Amino acid sequence: MLNLDLFINGLLIGLFYALMAVGLTLIFGILKIVNFAHGEFYMLGAYAYTLAAQKLGVSPLLALPLAIAAGALIGWITERLLMRPLYSGYSSWGLMRDEYAVVVTFAFSLLLVNLVDKVIGPYPSRGPPLLNLPKLILGPVILPGPKLIAGGVGLVVIGGLALFLRSSLWGKQIQAVAQNRLGATLAGIDTARASSLVFTVSGALAALSGALLAPIINASPDVGAFPAIKSYVIVVLGGMGSMPGSIVASLALGVLESFGAVYISYDYRDTFGLVILVLVLLLRPHGLFGEKGRVV
Amino acid sequence: MALARSARPSGELWPPLVFLGVLAALPLLVGDAYWLGILIVSMYFALLAVGWNLLAGYTGQFSMAPAAFAMIGAYATGLLARDLHTAPWIGIPAAVAAAGLVGMALGRVVMRLSGPYLALTTLSFAEILRLVIGNSYEYTRGDLGLGVPGLFEGRLPYYYLFLGALLAVQLGVFLLLRSRAGLFLRAIRDDEVAAASRGVDVVFWKTAAFTLSTAISGLAGALYGHFSQLVSPELGLISQTGLVISMVVIGGMGSLLGPLAGAFLVYLGSEVLREVGGIQLIVFALLVILFARFFREGLIGLARRALARRGA
Amino acid sequence: MNGLSVEKVAKSFGGLRAVAGVSLSIAPGELVGLVGPNGSGKTTLLSLVSGHESPGEGRVLLDGEPLAGLSPDRIARRGLLRMFQLTRVFRRMSALDNLLTAGRALGLPPRGALARAHILLEELSLTRVRDLDGGQLSGGQQKLLEFGCCFMRPPRVALLDEPFAAVHPTLKEIMAGSIRARHREGQAFLIVSHDMPVIAELCPRTVCMNAGAVIADGPTRAVLSDPVVIEAYLGGEGA
Repeated sequence: MLNLDLFINGLLIGLFYALMAVGLTLIFGILKIVNFAHGEFYMLGAYAYTLAAQKLGVSPLLALPLAIAAGALIGWITERLLMRPLYSGYSSWGLMRDEYAVVVTFAFSLLLVNLVDKVIGPYPSRGPPLLNLPKLILGPVILPGPKLIAGGVGLVVIGGLALFLRSSLWGKQIQAVAQNRLGATLAGIDTARASSLVFTVSGALAALSGALLAPIINASPDVGAFPAIKSYVIVVLGGMGSMPGSIVASLALGVLESFGAVYISYDYRDTFGLVILVLVLLLRPHGLFGEKGRVV
Repeated sequence: MALARSARPSGELWPPLVFLGVLAALPLLVGDAYWLGILIVSMYFALLAVGWNLLAGYTGQFSMAPAAFAMIGAYATGLLARDLHTAPWIGIPAAVAAAGLVGMALGRVVMRLSGPYLALTTLSFAEILRLVIGNSYEYTRGDLGLGVPGLFEGRLPYYYLFLGALLAVQLGVFLLLRSRAGLFLRAIRDDEVAAASRGVDVVFWKTAAFTLSTAISGLAGALYGHFSQLVSPELGLISQTGLVISMVVIGGMGSLLGPLAGAFLVYLGSEVLREVGGIQLIVFALLVILFARFFREGLIGLARRALARRGA
Repeated sequence: MNGLSVEKVAKSFGGLRAVAGVSLSIAPGELVGLVGPNGSGKTTLLSLVSGHESPGEGRVLLDGEPLAGLSPDRIARRGLLRMFQLTRVFRRMSALDNLLTAGRALGLPPRGALARAHILLEELSLTRVRDLDGGQLSGGQQKLLEFGCCFMRPPRVALLDEPFAAVHPTLKEIMAGSIRARHREGQAFLIVSHDMPVIAELCPRTVCMNAGAVIADGPTRAVLSDPVVIEAYLGGEGA
């Protein structure tokens, strides 16, 4: 049955999308901003993995943690250098903090893409597979090896993250900051550190996704564009800041794309999410009045 | 009262006029077709920058779609020329109208959104549009590009055409900002709820700003189409929007001269840097981050402050 | 029938009934105070009148015309202007421009708006800071500025939400004086405030709310000494 195969594969991809997007969700939850450089964290992870394996001759199993570390580092740097004005009080942008975040992360994204393009080169390269896993065949369903790994890792990591947020002290602090920043500060929580942690984790997770997909796609400087857009779709669909929401949204997107590619259009398979995003943004009572609570 | 009168928010008209005046005289010094071309493209970006500044700097709506609307304008005039054989002097206004109408619809629809929501929606819209145009190659010739008839022989007439358009747009924006519209737009930017409570018709003015901005982008695109005689979906790339945003941020948002100066500085700078080794986008992205982080008023703002300190 | 007429208006937020069947009317030229403990629904009532919230039940009429479904800016242009509890001014525009925006939005011609703005600046002792940005003014000055914006074109009814809260006594005096002067000219006011002495001094009539309903409505002295009102403040069902 084709449909079952499409569905299961869609879920698998969805798990991977969840891994990719959950960091963005966390960032939005804590800082109420969208990180437009998210796709580049993913890209850097793919490059780190590929270069470590190819140029440094490191085994793929070691290259993966290297990629994660690279992502964590870039995430930390982003928060430390660029995000401080959002909450340190100092900012010549005053009230327009949302717009500041948009411009700054957008510019950072451009910077990273072109830096990589310049330093490493635009030629695409494919990373070595993490494990040589053959495809798994369960009845009518065919699960390709790399996809299985991607989905599997996604499942494990998301599970771990959820556990972390729920049970650990740091995790609870993050939740507190996400719910009420001022209140969290008054309760003695170091919100700057929470933000730093979230950005670092986000970078690490995005880089991990990039590394996982490096064996399948060619790593080029703008490879982060579509994952970024899909992550945005997931964050919005999932309720802007809700982790369970984004997981559900990721799975839904994976399945939607899987079916859509076959039944609607293969060429446009990447735009389904975009269209959904636009529809959701327009129809959901968000924006000035809905999201910021009572007006007066 | 010793308090220095801050620069009028509508800006003085004379800095842009002087700037444009210099541009008008420039061909006397620069006869080289290559550099004329560079300047013409700078003017293309200047138009986009002025339009985007109206929307973002003055009204507070940070749309990520200016390049997409330039693409609409370019394709509109190109398709009209190819299929209906319309003359450019009909095609170009039609392109402006097309871009404006689509902009009005989009603006109306993203009205309630702000900040990241607005950015995401306009970005998605731009990407969808670009993908659709790119994929519809039976109609638009997709990535191969659509041929658009030229207007003149030689570059000089194009130069003055663009300059004329830039002058007209700049004048129009100046008059607009000096009128009550300028007050309303800035009020909307500062506090939409308060603006409505004082009686400002927020829905109308936000839509108007959006429409005007996209119409200007459409004009830029249409003119560019006839100049380059080939338009492709690359016109609507997000990185093109990124360039426009860089120009306005570096030049200075919320001032008249800022987008103009920013456009030329960035584009000419990128030409120079291209010689050095293709690091232009890196440099500009860095500059945008620096300016956004530390100097929100951009170069023009810095210049203003420096002049004020000299005891102007 | 002129003036403001609120007829059996109710509003719930989720499970909370913020305003429950409130009826009151303000005749042209009346100066009315609105008091009540925290959470009694005063601000919500004001929002229902100014168009920032729409009533679940009942209706609001201005000079006989229903305001149902109108956006805040249209209601403002009809002559119902409102001050907010948390002061809202245009922070990156000069004080003068703040006033001009209000004036032009309400239909004043350029020169007329400028003249009127200067008069108001003078009356509110803000001429000195005329060219400073709204965000640079002190809290009290911002309140005065917001107050001034309501009077660029005399409204039919002015809705003031806690205009005296956290304001320096001098500035309070300026505002009170301005209210008195306009009242003499026939301006109608509905003033929400916790500042009893000022209400007692300014308003001939006072309405008291508690838990979303009107519990007293009459001459100020009588209302403020009404045992029901005192009970509400001292810890009945209200706060």
